[in-house]
Amino acid sequence: MVKKDAVLINLKGIIKRYPIGIDDFCQALNGVDISISQGEFVAIMGPSGSGKSTLMHIIGALDTPTKGKQFFKGKNIASYKEDHLAEIRNKEIGFVFQFFNLLPRMSVFENVERPMLYGGVPIEERKRRVMDALEAVSIADKAKNLSNHISGGQIQRVAIARALIMDPSVILADEPTGNLDTKTAYEIMNILTELNNKGRTVVIITHEDDIANFAKRKIKIVDGKIVSNTKNKKKQS
Amino acid sequence: MKPREILRSAIRALRMNALRSSLTMLGIIIGITAVILISSVGQGAVAFISNELSSFGTNFFSISPGSDIVSTFSGGGEPIVLEDVEAIEEANISNIETIAPFSLTNKVVSANGESVRVSIYGMTPEALILLKPNMIYGEFLSDDDRNSRIVILGSDIAEELFGEDTDPVGESIKINDIRFAVTGVSKSGGTFFGSFFNTAVNIPLEILQDQIAGNEEIMEIDISVHDTDLLNETMDEVESVLRDHRNIDEDEDADFTLTSFTAALDTFGTITTLLTVFIAGISGISLLVGGIGVMNIMLVSVTERTKEIGLLKAIGAKRKDILTQFLIESAVLTTIGGIIGIFLGVGGTFLIAVVAGIPFIISVPWILLAVSISTLVGVVFGIYPARKAADLLPIDALRYE
Ligand SMILES: Nc1ncnc2c1ncn2[C@@H]1O[C@H](COP(=O)(O)OP(=O)(O)OP(=O)(O)O)[C@@H](O)[C@H]1O
Ligand SMILES: [Mg+2]
Repeated sequence: MVKKDAVLINLKGIIKRYPIGIDDFCQALNGVDISISQGEFVAIMGPSGSGKSTLMHIIGALDTPTKGKQFFKGKNIASYKEDHLAEIRNKEIGFVFQFFNLLPRMSVFENVERPMLYGGVPIEERKRRVMDALEAVSIADKAKNLSNHISGGQIQRVAIARALIMDPSVILADEPTGNLDTKTAYEIMNILTELNNKGRTVVIITHEDDIANFAKRKIKIVDGKIVSNTKNKKKQS
Repeated sequence: MKPREILRSAIRALRMNALRSSLTMLGIIIGITAVILISSVGQGAVAFISNELSSFGTNFFSISPGSDIVSTFSGGGEPIVLEDVEAIEEANISNIETIAPFSLTNKVVSANGESVRVSIYGMTPEALILLKPNMIYGEFLSDDDRNSRIVILGSDIAEELFGEDTDPVGESIKINDIRFAVTGVSKSGGTFFGSFFNTAVNIPLEILQDQIAGNEEIMEIDISVHDTDLLNETMDEVESVLRDHRNIDEDEDADFTLTSFTAALDTFGTITTLLTVFIAGISGISLLVGGIGVMNIMLVSVTERTKEIGLLKAIGAKRKDILTQFLIESAVLTTIGGIIGIFLGVGGTFLIAVVAGIPFIISVPWILLAVSISTLVGVVFGIYPARKAADLLPIDALRYE
């Protein structure tokens, strides 16, 4: 483990362009510098289309920047090949998405177990770890349910359990509460806060202020540029 | 990931779309069913016919009129007559064991007020050695009978005319209003060709020619040999004797044909091989079409599951993981199709064997081959879709709508 306060993620001058047609492109990120340390709880905010998801995908090694330096635990991963990035995603990053979080046709248990299959965790260990993770998000009783036979809030809990299963350095959540009513959203945010209190680094994307207020730091981005990066003074708990 | 886990999720993915999966399998099922059915039925038929042919023995050959099998039946050409038989006898070919001429006609026979139209064979006592008849009553033709009006009944005819389990020896029957004394009843064993004789009657050849048929024509001369290894040489000798006798030059086509069962077996073997190649070709095409169907469905499946693939990549699936998952899915699909095809093929073979009365032969090598081929089809035609899935960029897959 990297010690607390050590820099986990460090982006320098990140530019991301998506080609559109033959000779046009869309500039989703326009020179982003971010540093996120171990144990932080960061909320990334901004209007629709401002580049929040793009940024999170690059932080999570799901996508590579067009230009810029990208350090993860001190290593420049900007030029890593896909299989190498897959390994980083498997071991170091836990994703929670807004939609399509769980694998269809599979039970809750199997969904949470899946990253361990790719990570080569032995079978004896897997069952215990899945049940621990499900208990941590209070959904162990649904372990046998199919992923489409649980509610939206429960889906997000399972997604969090899966994100935690490989004991990653960071949880990246892209609008994890976007689909939920306020009460359920707060429950999910409380789970993330609790994880952060135990030392887990958490980065969430949201465009709702009350959700962002759970975080310790708020980063605002507009048109692919960071416009503010401040400590959250109104932090909820 | 462990193979067992991949297998489990593959089966689950296929069950999700059970109808589509079964339709996709159809091509493979049909192909494999055809391979099993035709190869097994073919083998049964081969066994059946070989058995029939060899029950006649391989130590003899036949001479029939006409330059080929067609003119044998359509007539035409110079008929074979008893003088031809005598010419062969006079040549004193040492390997010849016996020479048995046969004639055949069709007449109504009657006795006890019963009448029935039957095949009437004219033969000589020499036929004993070739036919090895199983006499249930009385005796076969003897040397003294060459010019007697006697008749050997086939067992079915004897039963029809005189009733079941009745010894008709000493009774008489009428053929063309000519009275014949019954001297024996023969019953052939189980073979298909043998059963012909049970529904026929046999009388001395010359009697048939003079008093029944009214012509000299001989349908076939069968010649058995002492040494089967020299069969072909003996056939050559007989051919040249007959050419001499019938004044046919070396460079002319003969107006008679010599055939041996060994040759017939060879021909039959060639036909079987050709048939097998043909079947292989047909099944190959059907499997190819089936394989293309599988590829098509797997491509649809990859497209449908793009987001799922994105999610799998987000949680750490490598290129190889996705590749094997889809390859195994496609291989499982075709292997299940193959196994269903085997069951259908074996079941169909059993039905045909029962209905047609041929041996039920299941070829294990063919079944193993069929399973391997069906799996192989899945792998080969699964490669392209699986690679498409594996090569998806995680972010494109996740953002796919
Ligand atoms: N694959 C792509 N090809 C072209 N343009 C893209 C692609 N992906 C994203 N974009 C563009 O990049 C910009 C940033 O998109 P992004 O999804 O990061 O926005 P966002 O801030 O997450 O918005 P939202 O709040 O609606 O989720 C948008 O203008 C979007 O249209
Ligand atoms: Mg977004």
